[in-house]
Amino acid sequence: MSTNAASTSAPLIVLDKVARTYPGPSGPFHALADIDLEIRRGDFVAVVGASGSGKSTLLNLLGGIDRASGGRIVIDGRDLGAASERALTAWRGRHVGIVFQFFQLLPTLTALENVMLPMDFAGIGSPRERRQRALALLERLRVTDQADKLPASLSGGQQQRVAVARALANDPPILLADEPTGNLDSRTADALLDGLSELVRDGLTIVMVTHEPRAMAHASRAISLADGRLVPEGRADA
Amino acid sequence: MLSPRWRKMRRDASLHKARTVLVVLAVVVGLVGAGALLASWALVRQVTAQTFIASRPVSATLRVDRVDDALLARVRDVPAIAAVRVRRVVPASVDANGRRARAQLFALSDWHARDIGRLKPERGTWPPRDGEIVLEPSSLEFAGAQFGQTVRVSVGDGAPVALPLTGITRDVSLPPGWMDHVVYAFVTPATLAQLGAPVAFNEIQFVVRDTTLDRDAVRRIADEARTRIEQAGGRVTNIAVPIPGEHAHAAQMDSLSLTQGAFALMTLFVCALLVVNLVSAMLAAQTREIGVMKALGGSARQIGALYLGFALAIGTVASLLALPASIAIARPYAAMKLDMLNFPIGDAAIPGWALAIQLVAGCLLPVMAAALPVVRACRLRAADALRDTGIAADGGHLRRRFSLPWISRPLQLSIGNAFRKRQRMLLTVLALAAGGAVFLGADSLRSGVRVSVAQLFAGNRYDVSLRLADGADAARVEAVASAVSGVTGVQALARGTAAVRRDDGLDGDAFTLVGLPPSSTLLAPAILHGRGIAAGDGNVLVVSRSLLKDEPTLRLGGDVELRLADMPVNGRPVNGWPVNDRPTRWRVVGIVDVGPQALAYAPVGALNAARGDERASALLLTTASREPAAQLETILRVRAAFDAVGITVGGSELMSETRRAFEDHLLMVVQFLGVMAWAMIAIGGIGLASTMSLGVLERTREIGIMRALGAPDRAIVSLVQVEGLVVASLAWIVSLLLSMPIGHLLADAFGRVMFTVKMQTLPNASGALAWGVMLAVVSTVACTWPARRAVRLPAARALAYE
Repeated sequence: MSTNAASTSAPLIVLDKVARTYPGPSGPFHALADIDLEIRRGDFVAVVGASGSGKSTLLNLLGGIDRASGGRIVIDGRDLGAASERALTAWRGRHVGIVFQFFQLLPTLTALENVMLPMDFAGIGSPRERRQRALALLERLRVTDQADKLPASLSGGQQQRVAVARALANDPPILLADEPTGNLDSRTADALLDGLSELVRDGLTIVMVTHEPRAMAHASRAISLADGRLVPEGRADA
Repeated sequence: MLSPRWRKMRRDASLHKARTVLVVLAVVVGLVGAGALLASWALVRQVTAQTFIASRPVSATLRVDRVDDALLARVRDVPAIAAVRVRRVVPASVDANGRRARAQLFALSDWHARDIGRLKPERGTWPPRDGEIVLEPSSLEFAGAQFGQTVRVSVGDGAPVALPLTGITRDVSLPPGWMDHVVYAFVTPATLAQLGAPVAFNEIQFVVRDTTLDRDAVRRIADEARTRIEQAGGRVTNIAVPIPGEHAHAAQMDSLSLTQGAFALMTLFVCALLVVNLVSAMLAAQTREIGVMKALGGSARQIGALYLGFALAIGTVASLLALPASIAIARPYAAMKLDMLNFPIGDAAIPGWALAIQLVAGCLLPVMAAALPVVRACRLRAADALRDTGIAADGGHLRRRFSLPWISRPLQLSIGNAFRKRQRMLLTVLALAAGGAVFLGADSLRSGVRVSVAQLFAGNRYDVSLRLADGADAARVEAVASAVSGVTGVQALARGTAAVRRDDGLDGDAFTLVGLPPSSTLLAPAILHGRGIAAGDGNVLVVSRSLLKDEPTLRLGGDVELRLADMPVNGRPVNGWPVNDRPTRWRVVGIVDVGPQALAYAPVGALNAARGDERASALLLTTASREPAAQLETILRVRAAFDAVGITVGGSELMSETRRAFEDHLLMVVQFLGVMAWAMIAIGGIGLASTMSLGVLERTREIGIMRALGAPDRAIVSLVQVEGLVVASLAWIVSLLLSMPIGHLLADAFGRVMFTVKMQTLPNASGALAWGVMLAVVSTVACTWPARRAVRLPAARALAYE
């Protein structure tokens, strides 16, 4: 595990007694309970845990995609629980980049257009500037030659790199990635993880759900979830 | 440069190309129908407003015993009166090319008046010259005459006189001659004299200064004019005050427009259902994509705008396609409606506002229809949208319910599939059922009209009615007619005019009052409420529904004062109006429906006593033959027999022809409803095709699995076709249920302005069966393309479908 100098600064993300409960046919299901967590700017945090432990739920809460049932989530001084759905969406567009497990590229848009889409939603730059930035991101992730192709004609690795480029489109300070290497072969996965590490070195904060040791090795810190609760960090490797 | 999200929408639309085209087509059909109605209504409104109001329609007509300058000056002195003219109206007969028709000849004091009842010469000579005749164009075809030819005109028992038809001039205040079966014509007083008719003017017409006055206010002005005429020694025998600013057939036209408008809205509603189905299907398929876009920072507004933009594009394309077609239909349709009102369409253009409304409404209709599902989908939180499981989980409950041992597995599957997307199925059923309900409602109304007309005419047990030019002794008239070969029954009637004396002292419009013997076997009107004329009755009245509507003070069991007119001699009253200065008092004992005619029946004895006159003015006959040609021969013999004894026949009518004209008149409106139903059925069928193709698309993977398991083409086609038939069957049941209230609403609306229709409770069995067969055909046709697509799907591609 690598470390980063920036992690010594003030916490960027603060979770205080966060819980998420879903109603279920046999009573409420506690997906997350009593989560206290601080993540500093520039951290590369790997969230690990068994299937159903609450990893994706935690990621959704951090991205403002889902709302906590209890506790507070404060990111860069903003209390996500107090924000309206509209404000949360606007905030997410500018402050959080999300990489989904199954890429989730929009099938009728080309790779380039998928990357331009978040800028389009956020109204960042002129159409020409959006295109230039999207091309630059694709180049950085080494998929420029796939820019005008539809997702269906890209390989899994290429799609994931386009998905990362899309997540970075609005230059967000935080990147949330849900098992980004889960559907990639080892070589492609390594390349992607190297890319993410490079982004962290540039100051990005990444929270990555994974259960792959290879991925955890790139993280500066690992937090472990079990049955919706945080396992003390000293026992993360246990 | 188009932004990525709009590019997405464009490509998504092209993915749904066939369904989008179907929905655009359905909206086009709906917009063409609704737009044509709106545009034709606007055009009719514009032309009638411009032409009718511009013609300075007469506010009131007073029939007087004589007209002279002093009397006319008195009328002109009424401050509220702006313009006055006098005329003579003479009933006559016109014979052109062997066709004889009833006619009304108008002789006016001023043919060029611009400030009252303006006439519009269309062809040939104007004004008419002595010894010539000018026809109103709406009568030309009915008269069987052609411009330039000579027609034979006779008045009363006068010899026919050949008059050249030298001009065509329109009078928009007249109802169409073809519709009223009257030839309207203009002649000079000298020509009237040539025909042996009275030449002195006997009607004073005026226009009020304030054209915003209501009918009662105009009536008061007419009463003031009457008082002045009577002060000058004249006698007023009749006052007619039409509804100000309204054409004679305006009420019927308004009701027609209202009914059409309601159906236009229903058609648009059905189109809206299809848009909801299409957009909902798109949204359902893209729920996860919506979640992703939200996760990427897309706001509900931005995402919603995409789908609403798609709906707007559907509306815009449909509007642009529909507009020329609706314009092309609207103009001839408006011309037809205007012809029913006796207005020429000329070169009038459809008002721009009507086209603008059509365009805007057409663009916005899909947007409004899609708004709710779009808002609902876009309000979904990103987390929920990303968790969407798609169609796979739908419909299990109902499929389990249909797991009955006596239903085959493929049929169970088809039934289950029909219920998988219940909202979509419901909207499709509603769209199909709406057309069917209107179809069945119109069918029931058509039957109801036929039955009601039959019932209405059931009381008219005669074959021919004759109008006597002058009153004659009833017994003598009956004796002469009975002796004619081919006549099997006779009944003489007293027939005159009367007016209701209102509470404010004014007289209402004149109506026909028929003196009926209680024992009459040839005329026994069907009673709606109360009772008919009975032996021993005194001053009692049985009034028509139309008269009740015109005279709100009339009520069953109530008393009313009537002013009666005398029997005419040579087409004019002998002693003037009233018979005496004391109006007679009558009690209303019954109500009948005789169609749109304001009419009342009274015991002939009581009527004769009130008038002090026992002469008959009409005669009813039954003939030995049912054949119209033979009946016409009998009429000629009767006329000859009357001529021989010095009794003049003013006109004659065949009951069969009167009934046919009346029924055709009513069925024309019903016919239109049938056309609207067809448009709605077409839209419903397109909706079914769209729904089935969506179903096939969503079940692509399932179809792939079935193919992989060895399902033959026949099984796949059956799966789709049977599902369509399940939806069609449901639509059939719903349409049967809906048709009952719709049929009764139609009958109610119909009855308010035209004629009371007795509706049966249930739809016609034959109509329901025909609609069922039609639905099966519509369903089969609508499912052909989706079934074909399902069969053509390669199994490997279907299995890979996400």
